[in-house]
Order: sequence, then C-alpha cells, then structure tokens
Amino acid sequence: MSVLTSPAAAGMASSAGRFVIEDWDNRVFRVNREAFRSEEVFQRERQRIWDHSWLYLGHESEVPKPNDFKARNLGGRPLIFTRDSLGRVRVYLNACPHRGTILCRETEGSARVYQCFYHAWTFANTGELVGIPDEAAYPPERSFVENNGLRSVPRMENHRGFVFISFDPHVGSLSDHLAEAADYIDLMADHAQGGLEVVPGTHLYGIRGNWKLAVENAMDGYHFSPTHVTFVEYLKSTGYVTSDEGGRAIAFRNGHSVLLFSGHGGRVGMQWEPRFGAEERVRTEANVKALAGRVGDARAKRISGTSRILFVFPNLILFDIEGLAARQLEPTAAGYTEVRAWELAPVGEDPAARALRIRVLGSFIGPGGLATPDDVEAYECIQRGVLATAGDSRPYVDWSDISRGMERESKGEPARSIDEAGLRSFWRHWNSIVEPVSR
Amino acid sequence: MSPVSRAQVEDFLFAEAALLDAWKLDEWLGLFEPGATSEVPTTDRPNADPESAQFYVADDYALIAARVKRLKSRHAHAENPHSRTRRLVTNVRVTQNGGDTVRADAAFLIYKIRDGNVDSFVGRYEHTLAVHGDTLKFRRRKAILELEVLRPGGRLSFIV
Repeated sequence: MSVLTSPAAAGMASSAGRFVIEDWDNRVFRVNREAFRSEEVFQRERQRIWDHSWLYLGHESEVPKPNDFKARNLGGRPLIFTRDSLGRVRVYLNACPHRGTILCRETEGSARVYQCFYHAWTFANTGELVGIPDEAAYPPERSFVENNGLRSVPRMENHRGFVFISFDPHVGSLSDHLAEAADYIDLMADHAQGGLEVVPGTHLYGIRGNWKLAVENAMDGYHFSPTHVTFVEYLKSTGYVTSDEGGRAIAFRNGHSVLLFSGHGGRVGMQWEPRFGAEERVRTEANVKALAGRVGDARAKRISGTSRILFVFPNLILFDIEGLAARQLEPTAAGYTEVRAWELAPVGEDPAARALRIRVLGSFIGPGGLATPDDVEAYECIQRGVLATAGDSRPYVDWSDISRGMERESKGEPARSIDEAGLRSFWRHWNSIVEPVSR
Repeated sequence: MSPVSRAQVEDFLFAEAALLDAWKLDEWLGLFEPGATSEVPTTDRPNADPESAQFYVADDYALIAARVKRLKSRHAHAENPHSRTRRLVTNVRVTQNGGDTVRADAAFLIYKIRDGNVDSFVGRYEHTLAVHGDTLKFRRRKAILELEVLRPGGRLSFIV
C-alpha cells in the first residue's frame, strides 16, 4: 500500500491493507479490529513504535531540584527520570549495569547516589560508577569502571519543559517528530511567563482496553454528547453552556492531531464564566492583558480563546481545556493500558486561582471524575465487543468505521471537531509503521 | 454530652456500607450535613490538600449531590448496570472525641464485581463526623486508598 503522511497528500488517496481501508470513491475509512486484539500487533508496536519513536516521559517540573527523581516504566522499560547533582535532567535505565537488578526501588524521592542492594555497587546520579566493594578483584584499568556506569536512554530532548526520550540512538530530531504539534505544545507552555509546573497528585490507573482506543476517544468529539450526558447535565446545572459550533479537528504529520473548541467556554485564568466567581473575573482580565503584552494580541487570542486537545504520537494527550493536563499512555498488553495523568498549572499562580483550577478540572477528568469513567467504560466495552467479530471474514463485519467527515473533506470543507479527521491521520501513520511485514 | 462510643461509630459506618452496597444513594446523601466534603486523594499523595493537589475525588456538598444524581441516571454508563459491591469495614477507632465532632478511622476492603472481573479496593477512612444529638453525620468524609495504582480495575465510578 502507499504510505501517506502529510495531511495534504493524504487528502483523497485510497488504499486497502490488512488493517486500514481508505476508500475515497465511497468516502469510507475502516480499521480492522485485529488491531485491538492481537498480541502480535502489540509486539510489533513495542518493537517498531515504542522502541524507535520519540516518547513522552514527563515534565521537567516533576524533578524540580537537583537529586530529585521519579521512577517510571516507558515502553515496558523501567527508567529513572532525575535531575542530577549538577542540575541537569537525566534519564537512565533503571537496571544495575552489573547484573540487571532494579537499581532504584522507590517511585520518587531525592538521591545523590543509587546503590544496588544486591552487591552494593554505587553510582553517582551523574552516571559514574563510584563504588565497588572489594574493587581489587576487578581489572585495574580505568575502562572497567567507565564501561559500567549508569546506562542513559539513547536520546533525550526537552521541548519547553516536556521531556521526550527515544530508545533508538538514530531517531531524527524531536522537532522533526513533533512537526506542527510543537506550536500547539507552545500554546500551552505560553500560558504563563514563568512556565508550567506539575500539580502534586498523579492519576495512576489501568484500563482493560487497547491503547489506541484511548487515542481515538481523546480525539473524537463525536462521542462527547452521548457518552457524557450526565456530565453535560451537571455543567448545565452550573450555568455552563457547551456547543460544537466552530469546533475543528486538524490532522498533522506523523500521526499527531488537535481538536479545537471555541464554543466550549470556561478556561481558568483565560476565559471567565459565572461559575468561576467574581474574583476570578478580575484575575482573568489581568492575566489575559499580561498575556497579550507578552506574546501579542493574535497569539494571546489563540491561547486564551480556544480549548484544545492535542495528541502527540504515540503516547501523549495534552488537554488545554478548563484547566491543563497531560495524559500518558503505557500499553502493557494488547488489551491493557496504564494511564498516568498530571495536572499542569502556571508557576507562581495565585493560590485561589490554583484551587479553582484544580476543582474545575477535577470534576471532569480522571478515574474519579464525572466524565472519564464513562470513557473507560467505552474502551473496555469495545475491547470486549471486538471479540464478537474475530475471524469473521464477511465484508465489513470485523471492521470499525472511521468515516465521519470524509464527505465534508471531499468537498474541501474544514473538518469539524465532531469529525474523525484526527483519528484517520493517527491510523494512517500507525499503519505505515505497523502494517509492513518486515522493517 | 457523653463521648461518642466506638459502637456508635461502627453502627454509622456499617449502615453507610449497607446503603452503598444496596445503591441507596439518596439515603447515603442524607448521611452528610450540608456543607460537608468528600475526598479521595491520589495514591501517590495520600496526605495532600485538595486546594493545592490533584485528587481522584474532592467534592464539595454540591458535587456530592451531583455525583449521586449522576449515578442514579441510566446514562452513568460506567455504572449501568451497577457494579455489585461488598464493603468490609473494620478496625474502627475513635481517634478524637471533642465537642460537636469526632474523628473516626477505619480500614476498608471493597470488592467491586462487574463484567467478569472482581476488583478490590483496599484502604482506610479518616472521617470527621459531626455529632447532632444522637445521630452522626459526615462533615468531612475521606477515603485513602493503599493501592499504588488503580489496577487492575481503574475507575472510581462508584463510591469508595
């Protein structure tokens, strides 16, 4: 099949493969459900995507001070995300170079050195092997110590505080990977002069569903009304009004996409609404004025006036809605995904604004919110439902439909946020990596 | 006013557990005094303050009521049909007994059964109860999960 990566080229080109059928004559796009079920596909994803792409690891504010660390798995590999004693962000494989023991057994903390409990080899957080019990039994050459320092991840880059890594030393630059998505990360990072910081308290939860269902769900404005009826009713009871009018879905290169909502309203510090209270109105007016002074009127209007959900292939979803959040996907099997979600906020924010921000976002998002559990129900029901058609070779039966908006697109009209343009761009890019028999 | 006994607190917590397991949510809402709060901190920050940290649940009274209204709707998809739950509430202690409030701690183990899965949620309660004559009401209800991660079942779509 032909590989299509640019949104313009992808426009009207048809193709049919094992996992994806794109048929512009009939304006139909389908995904084979084996993509959600198959452990073979999951292994290909691990090898071809997680071992070779840029991956979102975390925000630099998670390790604000020298020696701070977080331990976290990414692509199934245990890692140490730290700021070393010299203040540099470093990412190491969390395995002792000596025998492979997990080196850091805490999930977070502060450590100048990491000592393996097994044989007590000790490593500075700058990477050097600094202690070997009974060292005289080893070769005296300096190279022995040098060859046994902490193993760094092959590549790490920091984009405006968002730290990405790759296990492939030959991967291209992060900016090439992010492409048009970089500007949308910047719109979030530009919220505050002092940058953003992660709010304490991480949502850590597992879902019994394939990771791609979580991507689809985030970039799918179509599900919002039916799935989140009870949340919308709650919002209406607080005087909040939602509308799809003016919403857009934009597909970027490399599988990234964004949803824009202008009729969504209510963004703490950016767009006031009555439920936020009178004090927040004063703060918001001052904040937006300062923002315009800093980045100019046009960019300030983009930042403050539009809600955005950005997907950065393959494992990051950034929410710039009522508040700010980063959600990371860590698939552990074809049918299971671990989710980590952090709330972000401006550094130095007024405590009253911070409390409001946390309250407003918390009612919606996360496994204890009024909306996210129904999304989780959707992922899990799909994961169970796709068993029904496994191996069914009748036409259309074992395929999911992702055609919404192709009719509009074929007439040259922009995609609405309730269209599936972003999902199609994700699947096209995914398919270009996963479908080939060998790579 | 005589001090609140452990038996009184146990009766209150056991009655609450029975209401929740029976999904009698309006009656459960009646266990809160107006202005009460309900919290579930994240597993990595169990002692955080909801004004400055992200929580799983940090409801004021209006949001507790909104949660009840939502869960009674057939559109609360995550709990339609309802999970079966069974709560074991034990190790009850009255840790502060002063005037119009008591601080009551307890351990809980909640089994949540749905869709072929049995998920367990284990943790402790650190409640502040208001004393209204012979009856107790929640002033601050706090459930702290001992889990490292909400796993394997990852949703607090029900009340823990």
